[in-house]
Amino acid sequence: MSNQFRKDLVDLVPRLRRFALSLSGNQADADDLVQSACVKALKNEAQFRSGTRMDSWMYRIIQTLWIDDRRRAKTRGASVDPDAAGLSDGGRGARLPEDRIMLDKARVAMAGLTEDQRTVLSLVAIEGLSYKETADVLDLPIGTVMSRLSRARATLLPQLGMTKGPVQ
Amino acid sequence: MTLQTVMDKDRLAAFVDGEMSPEEAAEVVMHLADHPEDQAYVDELMAANQALAQAFDAPLNEPVPAKIRETIMGAEPDGIVVPFRRRPLAMAGAGLALAASVALAVVILPVLRNGYSDTQLALGPVAEDTALDRALENLPSGIPEAMESGPEIMILATLPVPDGFCREVEVIDEDADRLDFGIACLGETGWSVEVTLSEPLSSSGTEDGFVTASDTEVQSLQPFLDRLGAGLPLDAEAEADAIAQGWAR
Repeated sequence: MSNQFRKDLVDLVPRLRRFALSLSGNQADADDLVQSACVKALKNEAQFRSGTRMDSWMYRIIQTLWIDDRRRAKTRGASVDPDAAGLSDGGRGARLPEDRIMLDKARVAMAGLTEDQRTVLSLVAIEGLSYKETADVLDLPIGTVMSRLSRARATLLPQLGMTKGPVQ
Repeated sequence: MTLQTVMDKDRLAAFVDGEMSPEEAAEVVMHLADHPEDQAYVDELMAANQALAQAFDAPLNEPVPAKIRETIMGAEPDGIVVPFRRRPLAMAGAGLALAASVALAVVILPVLRNGYSDTQLALGPVAEDTALDRALENLPSGIPEAMESGPEIMILATLPVPDGFCREVEVIDEDADRLDFGIACLGETGWSVEVTLSEPLSSSGTEDGFVTASDTEVQSLQPFLDRLGAGLPLDAEAEADAIAQGWAR
């Protein structure tokens, strides 16, 4: 087992937790998801091609595990804990009450998307992947990524109602 | 209600998402100057991206949870190999094996030294305001800290005991090829090292402290933990509270 592989994986954990949080809607499930993904990655290290992006590889593992979990649970949508959403320090950067309300709206709106739409939107808008990188992670045609992204935003934007400009 | 736009929304989205060449982006910028409704949609998309990024960014400001770190650094998925470093000894009591191809190299040092330095763990009271004392007082578990004298010190875990707290600590002195591990407990007069293990760093494992698992050393120290009445290590949040409260003295 490569020690460098493990170190690189640890360095990646904050971003993996963010991605998992955006999918699951609560930190406890997100951490379980990341933990399971790390176990799977360690078992399958040989499949990781050195020189390729570990983040994309891990995003894919997390997304696959999440979908499997959802199928087993036979539930739809992320479970946002309203209390946790309201108290989350994810709004540290939001100084005004209306900004915090906006961030809570964003969490709830994300939870209301389909799994497919939420995953694509998270990878593009939160993780900053390109459409091509997102397509590679999800093993989808780039056109499918764009259509899911378009539908996700068509659903999400009216819920945010943010025509006054960006959150500062 | 989402804004109506003149330009195709997917194209505006591609502009916001950085999917365009510089030339294409310049064209969109020119278009936006003359089409405020499209500019408003672009603003809306950018604000949404920013809100989403902020809404889920809490993990970026938090340390890696100990459970996840241990999954990655602490054990093979099949549990055959575990690291000597980073693994709280008390966890061994919960069924996890602690290291030790170190078996032949580890020496239990029941020797009370008259003095001690910052660079080694010695049985007995910890002098105030030494690097070890400061680490025991304030350093969260899992965060290595270089001492001015060179060695690296790290708290491995904080263990609740009936009358307070004990902390597992290791000091790695690469120059001296030495790894010291100890358990220090807080008493009325301050911290005191209750037990130490020491080994040549070069024999601590095959690669950066990773060693083959064996129960030998665990068994030798487990009775000590039992006598202390030590519980499972505090999680990061409980430990942070204990540090913030000055160990409730």
